[in-house]
Amino acid sequence: MAETPINLEQTGVASPTTKTRPKTLLRLARYTGLKVVALLAAVTIGLYLTIWIANMGGYVDEIMRGQIRESVSIAVSMDPEMRTLSLPERRERIDEQVRLAEERLGLDQPFVTRSFRFLGNAMSLNLGRSQHLTSDTGSRQVRTIILERLPPTLVLMTTANFLLFILSIIFALFLSRNYGTILDKMTIGLSPLSSAPPWFYGIFLLLIFAAILGVLPFGGMVVAPPPRETGAYILSVGRHLILPVAAWLISGFFASVYGWRTYFLIFSMEDYVELARAKGLSSRDIERRYILRPTLPNIITQFALMLIGLWQGAIITETIFNWPGLGRMIYSAIQSFDTPVIVGSTVIFAYLLAITVFLLDFIYALVDPRVRVGSGGAKS
Amino acid sequence: MPSDNVLSVRKLKLFFRTSKGVVRAVDDVDFDLTRNRAVVVVGESGCGKTSLAKAILRLLPKNVHTYSGEIFLNDKDTMKLKNEEYRLQMRWVKMSMVPQAAMNSLNPVMKVGDQVAEPAIIHNNMNKEIALQQAHKMFQQVGVPADFINRYAFELSGGMRQRVAIAMSLVSLPELVILDEPTSALDVLTQANIFNVLKQIKKDLGISFILITHDIATSSELADDVAVMYAGQVVETGDAHRFFDRPLHPYSIKLMASVPKLRAREEPDFITGQPPSLLNPPTGCRFKARCPSRFERCEDEPPAFRIDGRTVKCWLHASEDD
Repeated sequence: MAETPINLEQTGVASPTTKTRPKTLLRLARYTGLKVVALLAAVTIGLYLTIWIANMGGYVDEIMRGQIRESVSIAVSMDPEMRTLSLPERRERIDEQVRLAEERLGLDQPFVTRSFRFLGNAMSLNLGRSQHLTSDTGSRQVRTIILERLPPTLVLMTTANFLLFILSIIFALFLSRNYGTILDKMTIGLSPLSSAPPWFYGIFLLLIFAAILGVLPFGGMVVAPPPRETGAYILSVGRHLILPVAAWLISGFFASVYGWRTYFLIFSMEDYVELARAKGLSSRDIERRYILRPTLPNIITQFALMLIGLWQGAIITETIFNWPGLGRMIYSAIQSFDTPVIVGSTVIFAYLLAITVFLLDFIYALVDPRVRVGSGGAKS
Repeated sequence: MPSDNVLSVRKLKLFFRTSKGVVRAVDDVDFDLTRNRAVVVVGESGCGKTSLAKAILRLLPKNVHTYSGEIFLNDKDTMKLKNEEYRLQMRWVKMSMVPQAAMNSLNPVMKVGDQVAEPAIIHNNMNKEIALQQAHKMFQQVGVPADFINRYAFELSGGMRQRVAIAMSLVSLPELVILDEPTSALDVLTQANIFNVLKQIKKDLGISFILITHDIATSSELADDVAVMYAGQVVETGDAHRFFDRPLHPYSIKLMASVPKLRAREEPDFITGQPPSLLNPPTGCRFKARCPSRFERCEDEPPAFRIDGRTVKCWLHASEDD
């Protein structure tokens, strides 16, 4: 009975799959459609709320009206031609000009009506023009401003977060293998360091390495004036990166390691890991197939969330290190009620988040067979 | 030492460090297993049965306090092997196991066929295809449908998972399989099925079994020999036929009396009291506090007395030895 040669491909494995394929595709399409609709709804609601909040429920309109009236009255009273007009006539001219200016900015319509137009523009990525901020090239296009600020943020945040992510996972795996050792206990003991944000350590690092020792720059992204050659430019950016990245690592590393270490520890106590050990697998195989593989969905989630986080920048850390990134841009936009910039960066962030969540579902299905089998047609 | 012993355990100790002190889970255990036989290790919960299995397989947690003794497999002392040598020469090559909770003993994200084939790939240098064919043979042996080879653990029922775990233990054709309560989570019908499978395997493949269980009634089907554990020690060994007929140790007698019988008038008996703590086991005979026939000599620790092929750790049987 044990002698029969069996071709695995033919023994009832292939046939049920082919039969159910159209059904599976249909289910997949329906699922995808539903998911897209749900995510779009979430993005819309989130954006609409942001529009209301960034406009302070319409109060920003009042501020703008006041500003317009003030500047128009000053302009009119300064105009020598207007001096000849009587007071009521002058008032009429002021009202007329204010009306025109308000009409130009759309302030003549109620905020509720305009909020929907804002929403439509934002959703179609028509980000419009900023009110106060300008790009370094002088443009008021929100898109240009954001695109200009994006590269510095990506350089800083990608370096800092990738280092943090990869170092903490490698170190956590190492600790989970050697838990209970002095190194392990020390790491856990140091994890409260993460209760302080990166900029807190940034201040101290600046004090020590820039102010006292004077070996590293105080802030900014490159020396002024920026070096001409690419090599020197990269080197200069690298030198400027050291302190903010170090601050980021000190703040995030220990808590991150603690979290991952505990997570891996729990998963390495699963019965199947013990059985893999009994099976005589090498510790590398055990780590790869029995610890990392089952935990992959979570690792991917954390990684994707980290990727999204990159786009936001780090508001205070960038400010402390004078880093010309998105974080600092959002900071100044909030300070000056520059709603188009706030809404513009929010809409990009919301879309990125939605796309990530959407893709994650499919990646989960790729790496975890338990997710792959939907609610309907599991066991054949 | 007779060479037909596939396994001989001598003075095996496995102590754990805990916050309350040292737990003496396996304390001076001796026993032998002859080739192509099945020994059933019975005892109450917490008497050290599973620890014994872990000690034999060198599956040690981090809090080991003492791990000593001798474990001869085919007259070769495995305790002398370094960890890496042990992994390559013993694990799944000579000895394999079926774990206690098969529900959770399969990797949820690997196809069961791959998991079953894995040891054959590592230890028998098979390529994946041949290893899968070997896995397939074992699936047939234990009664798992062929197409399950491409399924995942969560797609199988409890009984099927247990069969897969058994197939996995057989795939590299080891000499000894240790089954740690392989059926305790299953319904009686499935239990009976699995035991039939195990009997068939023993006949077909000539593998020796150590079956750890507290289910004396079911295990009696498979048992050739019996070892009774109490408080970290083996208190009685012997062939199953004579043991079930007339156990020697007072604990074994009480244990057997507690098993309900099909056509018996009398109610199943029970043992009063609690088994002693393994943190601080009593001196002398460990069963003396609960023993109905204790006497003065029980204050000293009894040696294992040999009575025509059986051993018993009880002073009551001393006279026959002296």
